[in-house]
Amino acid sequence: MPSLNLLPCVMVAVPLFGALLVLLTSRVGGEQARWTALTNVLITFALAVLMVWNYRTPELLPENANASAREVTADDAIQMKSSLRWLNWRPAAPAVVEGQPQNPRDTAVELSFGVDGISLWLIVLSALLMIPAVLVSWESIKDRAPQFYALMLLLEAGLIGVFAAQDIILFYVFFEFTLIPLFFMVGIWGGSDRRWAARKFFIYTLAGSVLTFLGLLFVVLSESWMTDSSTLTFSIPELTRSIQRITTVSGPAHQYWDHASPWIFAALFAGFAIKVPLFPFHTWLPLAHVEAPTAGSVLLAGVLLKIGSYGFLRFALPLVPGASVAHFHVIAILAVIGIIYGALLALAQEDIKKLVAYSSVSHMGFCLLGLFAFNTVGLTGGMLQMINHGLSTGALFTLVGMLYERYHTRDIASYGGLTRKYPIMAFCLLVVAFSSIGLPGLNGFTGEVTALLGMFATNKLYATLSLSGIILGAWYTLSLVRRTFFGRLREPVQEHGHGHAPVAARHGAESAHGGHGSDHVALKDLNFREMVALGVLIVPIFWIGLYPQFFTSRMQPSLQPIVALLQSHGATQLAEGRPTAPATEPASAVSQLPNSPASPPSD
Amino acid sequence: MADMLTRLIPLFPLLACLITAVAGAKWLKEKSHWPVVIGCGLSSLCSLALLFSIPNTPGEQVQPVVLYQWMQIVEPKIENGPVYAPGAEGVSPGLDLKISLRADSLSTTMLAMLTFVATLVAVYASGYMHGDRAYWRFFSIVGLFVFSMIMLVLSANFLQLFVFWEAVGLCSYLLIGFWYEKPEAAAAGMKAFVVNRIGDFGFATGVFLIWTTFGSTEFSAVLGDSAAIAKLASTNPYLLTTICLCLFTGAIGKSAQFPLHVWLPDAMEGPTPVSALIHAATMVTAGVYLVARCTPLFQLAPDAQVFVALIGGITALLAALIALTQNDLKRVLAYSTVSQLGFMFLGLGTGSLVGIGGAMFHLVTHAFFKALLFLGAGSVMHAMGGVIDMREFRGLKRLMPQTHTTFLIGALALAGIPPLSGFWSKDTILGAVYEQAHAHHEPAVAGAAPTATDEHADESHATTSAPPDKTMFGVSRVKLFGWLYWLGTLTAFLTAFYTFRAFFLTFYGGPEKVPHAAGHHAHESPPSMCNPLWILSGGAALLGLLLGHMTGIFDGYLSGTIDGLKEASHEHGINWLVAAVSSVVAAIGVGLAWVMYKEPSAIPGRLAALAGPFTRLSEHRFYLDEVYSVFVVKPLQGLAHFSRFFDWLFVDGLFVTGVSKLPAVLGRLPRPIQNGLVQFYALAMMLATAVLMWALLSKQT
Repeated sequence: MPSLNLLPCVMVAVPLFGALLVLLTSRVGGEQARWTALTNVLITFALAVLMVWNYRTPELLPENANASAREVTADDAIQMKSSLRWLNWRPAAPAVVEGQPQNPRDTAVELSFGVDGISLWLIVLSALLMIPAVLVSWESIKDRAPQFYALMLLLEAGLIGVFAAQDIILFYVFFEFTLIPLFFMVGIWGGSDRRWAARKFFIYTLAGSVLTFLGLLFVVLSESWMTDSSTLTFSIPELTRSIQRITTVSGPAHQYWDHASPWIFAALFAGFAIKVPLFPFHTWLPLAHVEAPTAGSVLLAGVLLKIGSYGFLRFALPLVPGASVAHFHVIAILAVIGIIYGALLALAQEDIKKLVAYSSVSHMGFCLLGLFAFNTVGLTGGMLQMINHGLSTGALFTLVGMLYERYHTRDIASYGGLTRKYPIMAFCLLVVAFSSIGLPGLNGFTGEVTALLGMFATNKLYATLSLSGIILGAWYTLSLVRRTFFGRLREPVQEHGHGHAPVAARHGAESAHGGHGSDHVALKDLNFREMVALGVLIVPIFWIGLYPQFFTSRMQPSLQPIVALLQSHGATQLAEGRPTAPATEPASAVSQLPNSPASPPSD
Repeated sequence: MADMLTRLIPLFPLLACLITAVAGAKWLKEKSHWPVVIGCGLSSLCSLALLFSIPNTPGEQVQPVVLYQWMQIVEPKIENGPVYAPGAEGVSPGLDLKISLRADSLSTTMLAMLTFVATLVAVYASGYMHGDRAYWRFFSIVGLFVFSMIMLVLSANFLQLFVFWEAVGLCSYLLIGFWYEKPEAAAAGMKAFVVNRIGDFGFATGVFLIWTTFGSTEFSAVLGDSAAIAKLASTNPYLLTTICLCLFTGAIGKSAQFPLHVWLPDAMEGPTPVSALIHAATMVTAGVYLVARCTPLFQLAPDAQVFVALIGGITALLAALIALTQNDLKRVLAYSTVSQLGFMFLGLGTGSLVGIGGAMFHLVTHAFFKALLFLGAGSVMHAMGGVIDMREFRGLKRLMPQTHTTFLIGALALAGIPPLSGFWSKDTILGAVYEQAHAHHEPAVAGAAPTATDEHADESHATTSAPPDKTMFGVSRVKLFGWLYWLGTLTAFLTAFYTFRAFFLTFYGGPEKVPHAAGHHAHESPPSMCNPLWILSGGAALLGLLLGHMTGIFDGYLSGTIDGLKEASHEHGINWLVAAVSSVVAAIGVGLAWVMYKEPSAIPGRLAALAGPFTRLSEHRFYLDEVYSVFVVKPLQGLAHFSRFFDWLFVDGLFVTGVSKLPAVLGRLPRPIQNGLVQFYALAMMLATAVLMWALLSKQT
């Protein structure tokens, strides 16, 4: 079916169109906006399912694969490609200067989309998380609802676009574009400190991504200089391929690239590390989460953070493999600190949303640890962890939102024993909490264990240190469960509309005509709408936990070429104790085993 | 046939769990126990059939039944690239994990015990939990637990074992906190899970190490490859020891050994059937199973074995000492469980096949008599209206005759009075320890690792006596085991004493006294609760005679997995001297308890006062919870709050806000220039023009 090649493009267009539709029909009636948005979101998700259905798993790398085999596999993995010339210009007079690299003459930025095993699941995740995001906003967003839903659909278009983009400029446009709807969502519908939170979030991430953009442009320009070509290549797969070709042969171009790589890595790091967020660039996250409306938190934690790790996987690792390997220790140490420090911070929080936000810092550390393990096991784990974190943290924020809608407080201490009153919610919270602390059979385990296994093969110390994060993870998550849902029933005092917090006040004004009656109606267990919102997240939580092969088999062909590339850049020589005497560390002393043919060539 | 049975055994409890979960609240209601009772019963029948249908020949690899491919990750093999080989640093071997079932004699033994006890406990619980608000929830989780535990013992690789290891931990968490409205129950559940996580941290590290060292986590590739283990032991014994110690850390957590035993007594907050099934008979023995399963690894890591024995011995004594002064009947039994598990590890730690066989046998007999004792305690608790403090009731013999008799049988078995089951299993362990303590005559060939263990039984037995005489603690092995033997004998005495102290305090100790909570209708428990007690007491009484040393059936059967066990136990038999000593010691313990507690007397009080500081130490459980609170929990919480402060002040405050202030500060620097004075602007303009002119002119000339 050739027509399905347009699927990624259509998936970007549908929410855009939906956003327009929501705004246009907003005058028809109050109910209209959310139904339009929901329909649109469901259609997009159906398209995402179709995309998975249509994605055929390519062959894995053959034995003794060389660079060209890598290219074939990587190319096979990108499917449903479509492209359209977008920006196209030609300088009038090519200025040729002796001894200088020739200036490019022809430039083409394309509207090109495609899906590989990496972006496939992130697109599905984005489309999936929109469903609970719309459903939790159903009752809580009354003020300027059409605009809210329109922004949300714009955000969805941006998120799908960022993962489906196969052109660097297009990627960057979507990358920045995702900030704008979220900025308004936080700034308009957020909590009491929303303006400050929105500004901080926007400027902080923008500051990083501008540097990233410089890095990306530098890659494009360098490629054209190195290949001496007359055109600028913006296509991500072509760029990757071309640079990898350069680095397989030695020559001035290769040398040049080796010199440029650390700078490019630093530039990419600036944007992506803030997005992830890596310690110590994480402080915008809790603030933004606390102030954001529930849907904003769900999407921010669920998908937006993944753009950072996706960036590392899509750009940093394949484009500057040497620099990535060289900066292994930096990233790994930051990730390990993030895991433990984030967990400790989560332990000290009294605000549910802040707790979940800091736990994100901890969990995303696992994700980066997996990616920087530089082997397929680790990369698969990192990928899985991206999805898992999206699902479980998304679900946690959804639950917090439901609780907030009922009581208008996020203070852990004011809750207790809610299971009695909300058994279904308690069940969902338990599933999600255990998914988040990595209980086998649920998704969190598959991601964490593969990421850590991968890292363990590369470096035992970091893996073991971060393994201690799972103890702290169990502690703070189960504390949260115990304090809010177990023990004797304790409910926060109802403010009934005359609270002093702006949100409560606004809500009070909103529900003033509903009167007290509506407040009491709200204090029931999950209704059908809320169950659907959580159900769509809990199903994949179990699915990934019980049968991850479905997901990993489709990822691997896209991950293997990257791993092969990284390994040819010496990724296997990172084991700790290698530079020093291996006998000091009992764990690494296995290398003394006789006739182990594998001891890789040292450089 | 065997494959079919292996598939069916976990299927029934899983179905029962799902049926109860889906239909329990709305339709089944008070009948919610039926799916689980039937499921466990069918599973139990299948397990019994499986006992006899597996090909139980030593040294043969068991083919696992593969259910499905869970995950497969292939590492690329690139030109001139690194290829994984055992010991290759920094290279990932890829991951190939199938969910599969592997039934050998060790697994089927565990299965038969597990499903049998589970069925009885389910029947018992239908009486005990009757009328509970969440009756269906209880049985659904029990079903899930039985399923997870079955999958745990049927695992064919370490990762799957770990998966279900955590899954039984989840069920334990959910069941301890079953009455979530009780803050103690909720806290105890969480404590159990988090403390277990500490052990799992070690277990996971061990599995990771196995994965990098052997390139696989399949039992067949790790435990079945004796050549690889032998090579590792000769080239890198530290690594092997590390692996064993890591795995043992997991066992310490799950089997509640010192110093991670603190969760088990608190776990008694859960319903009593749960205490019997999970926290006495089955889940807590998973650690013993793990170490027994990893015998091929431990056999060649003598240091790790000594460590296992030492931890086991310390735990056995420590828990027995604590049990002496506890007033809560269930807590006495909980500490007794900890102590008996310590005994099992002591047996495993001897490294001799007899010791390992004895540990496994003790596991089975202990499951019977300890489940019996717990269910008996539950029966008392049921009648006393939920009160379990032994100071609140006494003299219940006339009121609860059936519970009294069955409890007595269980107590005798636990005390190790011949010919009840506990006697046979405990004395096998003590005999094995004694033998290690008197191993002078055997030549200690230091470091003589065997080349392959798949030869003859006597060969493999010879290797067990090979460990060097010095242990890693600097004490000679013989001396250490000598101490451990006396320590074990002392524990046997204490066990008999505290068991019968509890027995006499509950059923005798003066005129009948019933707490107010029981009301006026305190009565013997219904048949659904008493019948399981009778069946279990049959097992507790007879298992030792029927399967133990007199017939050699148990060791013979288990030698299908633990190669050479049959011959070893034939050769060494039971050490009648050791048996006599421990029986006499146990009898003294029982007698002492009789004197002190049969009738109310002043002796216990005087004795407690005499032993002043020691009594307080025992009553406060050696202050271990306080130690953890002061040295672990509080510092970590302090660190957490410090991190919060640090994050606020330095990371966000100074670093981020500082940087964000930079543009404003930079902007402020040239601000004085824009001072609004036209004269200043004119001056600046003129000066600038002058400089420009000068620059241009100087360039032209």
